[in-house]
Amino acid sequence: MSPLDPKTTFPVPVPDRDTKPFWDATARGELLIQRCKNCGKFLWQPRPVCSSCQTPDPVWTKVSGDGKVASWAVMRPPTLPSYAEMVPFVVLLVEIDEHVRLLGYLVDDSGRVLKTDGEAEGLRMGSRVKVRFHEQAGFQLPSWTLAR
Amino acid sequence: MTRPARTLGHRQAVVVGIHTLPFAKDIGMTERHSGALAILGALKDAGLRVSDVDAMFRYYWENTTEMEMARILGVKNLRMFGEVDYGGGAGPPTVQLAALAIENNLADVVVVWRARNRGSGGRPWASQYMATGQDQFERPYHVARPVDGMAFHFRHWIHKYGWTPEVTGRVAVTEREHARKNPLALMQKSMTMDDYLGARMIADPLRLFDCCLETDGALAMVLTSADRARDLDVTPAYVAGFAMGSGPQMTAMTFFYGDELGATPNRYVAPDLWRNTGLQPKDMDVVQIYDAFTPQIPIAFEEFGFCKEGEAPAYMAEGKNPPYNTSGGGLSEAYVHGFNLLVEGVRQVRGTSTSQVANVKHTMVTGGNVIPTGAVVFSKEPW
Repeated sequence: MSPLDPKTTFPVPVPDRDTKPFWDATARGELLIQRCKNCGKFLWQPRPVCSSCQTPDPVWTKVSGDGKVASWAVMRPPTLPSYAEMVPFVVLLVEIDEHVRLLGYLVDDSGRVLKTDGEAEGLRMGSRVKVRFHEQAGFQLPSWTLAR
Repeated sequence: MTRPARTLGHRQAVVVGIHTLPFAKDIGMTERHSGALAILGALKDAGLRVSDVDAMFRYYWENTTEMEMARILGVKNLRMFGEVDYGGGAGPPTVQLAALAIENNLADVVVVWRARNRGSGGRPWASQYMATGQDQFERPYHVARPVDGMAFHFRHWIHKYGWTPEVTGRVAVTEREHARKNPLALMQKSMTMDDYLGARMIADPLRLFDCCLETDGALAMVLTSADRARDLDVTPAYVAGFAMGSGPQMTAMTFFYGDELGATPNRYVAPDLWRNTGLQPKDMDVVQIYDAFTPQIPIAFEEFGFCKEGEAPAYMAEGKNPPYNTSGGGLSEAYVHGFNLLVEGVRQVRGTSTSQVANVKHTMVTGGNVIPTGAVVFSKEPW
């Protein structure tokens, strides 16, 4: 195996048995979140047992990915060379309508990461967003675009 | 003094030795080397010897295990040993383990320490490409550094409580003023509010001076029982009490996923600390609050009950808060996962701080608030 080129190498998810269904779904362009089959609570991050009622084996459930912005950070100095061409960009903390919060890039409608601090796009706390998928290092990373 | 409400061991623990090596960007030795020197310095400060030591506790992130350190120093037997995880949350809990060992008569002379080459040793995230566990949902998005996680909490607090940049700017400027009186502190240059506001963004909304230093440092503390401390030529700092807490749905640095965004584990630590010490915020003459980032200070004043939720900006602007981080803290003295705050807490009780507060009876020292954490109170007088 050739040494990794730091300019093009991103941190990659390492799925395990608990998380593989999530990544398999994003590869199909779907967002799945676990839901407890007993109490109905949506759970994030992936886990083998419902943290509310302790029922095992929550069910992977397709969600729309619609939600609202709960917070965000603007990344400026890159931590790794691979992000150097991308900065500045926004990472959103999104609360989807099923009341779980996930991280994701702020992207355009086609899933491309926007080079922005969010000002031009009118990014606000509570802004409505829709899920898109951004390809990075062979993974489809859930990301969000502002709903128009 | 009021006897604490918690179930007590038979003996009170006392800090009898502290030592800090000069902080540096490059200390020029390994962590086992600087750590050993810090421990020897703290034992000398206490008037104790390696042959007296019978327990050691360390930060989990310490690169030298307590076994290796005991071997290097020549400790005959560790009757108790252990470690506490989670980076900057581990300081007061490490002291808590030491105090519990003493209170319960399981050990007599306990060493805790922190040695870290974070200035010269590189940044941990620079080589972390395989994102396992919780990291797989965070690190690919460039949420890797502590500052990245803090940015989301900080923006939430700004939005929820209407913080202006001056709220956190005041923290940076205040700690710099303390640092400039402390010859050990790395940051000796003055800082104005304009300097703070004009500095570059690191992870927006966090500016450069919202962030702690990157330091090589080594510090140690020696604790023993109150009975044994009476035979030593030291000013004792009594361990009045302590508490630890995780809160629900904890993921270190990025606990965004629980029901209440922005509430830190200190919501749980604080009531336990006040019950366990029998003390109240008004009893604290000076405090050392974990400050990897400036926003942690106002949130801690609120969550520990020094003021009400949302009132920290006015409380601090009016100067109603006790003096905090009097050595310059993690922002301007050195960043060593908060061990300098513990040492400074002891100095305030001894009366040897470079920003000494008059007649200190009690001081609180906290661990980091966006990770599993704890807090401890050191007092001038015994129970």
